[in-house]
Amino acid sequence: MAGAKKALALTPAVRKLAALPILIVIATQRDDGSVQLNPVWFELEDGFIWLNSNTNRTWPKNLQRDREVTMLLVDPKTPDRYAQIRGRLISLVPDPKHEFIDRLSRRYTGKKFRDLEAGEHRITLKVQPLSVTGQML
Amino acid sequence: MALQLSPKMQAFTQEVFPAIIGTNRKDGSVEIVPVWFEQKDGSFWINGGTNRGWFKHLERDPRITLLLIDPKEMFRWAQVEGRMVNWEEDAGGEHINELSHRYLKKDYQGPRTGRIKIQIEPLRVTGAIDGRR
Repeated sequence: MAGAKKALALTPAVRKLAALPILIVIATQRDDGSVQLNPVWFELEDGFIWLNSNTNRTWPKNLQRDREVTMLLVDPKTPDRYAQIRGRLISLVPDPKHEFIDRLSRRYTGKKFRDLEAGEHRITLKVQPLSVTGQML
Repeated sequence: MALQLSPKMQAFTQEVFPAIIGTNRKDGSVEIVPVWFEQKDGSFWINGGTNRGWFKHLERDPRITLLLIDPKEMFRWAQVEGRMVNWEEDAGGEHINELSHRYLKKDYQGPRTGRIKIQIEPLRVTGAIDGRR
């Protein structure tokens, strides 16, 4: 009953962690049920976690199939401080003018994203947080 | 068949940062948490109380994925897919104390009873360290 779950307001401690220029680790499941972990760029905006990917990566395919994702933020200075966020994919839209990946790139590198490779297509994924557990939050 | 770690991975796994472990919950979702680890003789070792969620998950489904990532340079990462091959009581907390020295350079301050050490055999490595995705 994923549809019945409510969006969650993230606490100031989690928002503070999400404001750091750190990668978020996303966990998805492969077709065989094994766990796939990927560190990726993200942004927390309007209460949602926003991600971007090349369409040929496995993790967005896994996410599109299951719509469920677990994410982890770890404070690089204090690894005992972490937030595990369970969420649900609510939209996946093309990023044809690479506007969102440029925005993410500026957050992490201060520059716009590299030129896309031939045949590379970007998509933006919007994830709604459903629950948070963790430590030292 | 366990995988033999590359020299680069051998070196990377000696660096001191927590491993992020992913296990399968009963409801089909994934749990991820950071834990202390060490790599010795090609196996990964982690430690915890038997009441930890991830240990219960591993008893049911021994598959585990570890993400090793340098918190200071996060493009340095490796994903290790493996499985729990063994676990045993950490008698006297000897192993958690060893891990405490690896991470904090001092004796373990928490309770040393009711702990177990878990052996994980690596099956596949992907990520930036070995240059494979």
